[in-house]
Amino acid sequence: MRLFLLYFSVGVFLIVLQGTFLRLLPFGPVVPDLVLVLCVYLGLHHPTMGAALGSFLLGYSVDVVSSRLLGLNAFAMSLVFLSVYLSSRSIWIQNPLVTSFVVLLAALVKGAALVLLWAVFLSVEGFWLGAARYIIMEALVAALLAPVVFALLRRGQNYVEKFRVAAQ
Amino acid sequence: MLAFLRKNQVALSSCCCLLLSIYILTAAARGQLKNEPLSALLMWIMRPLQIASQETVNWIKGFQENYDTLAGFRSENERLRKRVQALEVERQKLLEAEATNRRLKELLDFRSHLPDTVVTASIIANSASSWFQSCLLNKGSADGVRKGMAVVTPLGVVGQVVAVTARTAKVILLTDPNSGIDVLVQRTRSRGIVSGSLEDGTVLKYVKRSEDIQEGDRLITSGVDGVFPKGLMVGTVIKVRKQHLGLFQFIEVLPAVRSERVEEVLVVAAESGAEKKP
Repeated sequence: MRLFLLYFSVGVFLIVLQGTFLRLLPFGPVVPDLVLVLCVYLGLHHPTMGAALGSFLLGYSVDVVSSRLLGLNAFAMSLVFLSVYLSSRSIWIQNPLVTSFVVLLAALVKGAALVLLWAVFLSVEGFWLGAARYIIMEALVAALLAPVVFALLRRGQNYVEKFRVAAQ
Repeated sequence: MLAFLRKNQVALSSCCCLLLSIYILTAAARGQLKNEPLSALLMWIMRPLQIASQETVNWIKGFQENYDTLAGFRSENERLRKRVQALEVERQKLLEAEATNRRLKELLDFRSHLPDTVVTASIIANSASSWFQSCLLNKGSADGVRKGMAVVTPLGVVGQVVAVTARTAKVILLTDPNSGIDVLVQRTRSRGIVSGSLEDGTVLKYVKRSEDIQEGDRLITSGVDGVFPKGLMVGTVIKVRKQHLGLFQFIEVLPAVRSERVEEVLVVAAESGAEKKP
């Protein structure tokens, strides 16, 4: 429960960052999707029911502050979590390069899911070419930042576990 | 059975979340999700954080501008540079106060030309996703903001309110691909729809090939959509291209308002027949 609260708080913090500070970074219209990186982290290192629900809630929170339609990012983040969880059974990830690659793939999965849902629920004319550019740019930026975010999350997790052991 | 559920509980719970998302999407698309409590709770949690972060971001932007101003003094010696820096920080504060004063005065003047139901609001956050061009306002239904209201500044149209909680309102910007504003070309009175696009920036759609549109033409709201008062500036035509085939011409538009530079806005109620005085 404590870890769930920690990760949810981190997620909310990341959403606020994405809407404010990260807009200052020189990535043009693309905002680094750190919430996606967090969902990948949860899928790899905390494959629990709470983490699945957490990914859904984080996506939903992004929808609440940004999306035209509630549920788009909730679906995409849940799908990312499930994909990463299923693939984590067969791959072992410790190397930062592999981490980046997994985040890159997860971002592509998220982008594809968003495009699909967008086409179904928000049919927008002439959307495909622009969407492809966004998917690729967002995936590259997320992959670039993933090792740093993973290292910070691991450090935070170690700190909470130490605190828990000390409390016991 | 129980063993199967236990073994696959994570995958099953993820699938449940996916199904729940689809249900929410469908309900939201049909407009059945109104006053949904989870959104209000999440917004309530994030609002103070967003306000604090945005203020810090504004401070950083101010600092950055201040730094740019100081760049011209680099050739001077260290003592003078420090002195100038101190003065510049002070000056920046005064300039900021003056600029805010001027902006608010312009808003007040502009407000007197709009329909009676107008709410002044500040932008507290921008979209957290690259896919949507939206922002959050610090006013909500408690302040009289309603879904569908127009969001404008003295320079022109910003966007439209698409969701409200008690203390916040979500605005879809003119530059979002999901937006659509009925406009008139000021010179020729031709009509079209201005919308965002991921591919080409902001575009004017559905203008026949035969219409005379030129670069530099100004676009104003037509007022017929019942959302935006007539005569508000929307943007300027910056590129006109007629394809070999097709009924319509491709027209790229430079929005009158650069939303990333806006801090205060007016939220205007839809009022048929309301017209902006020149």
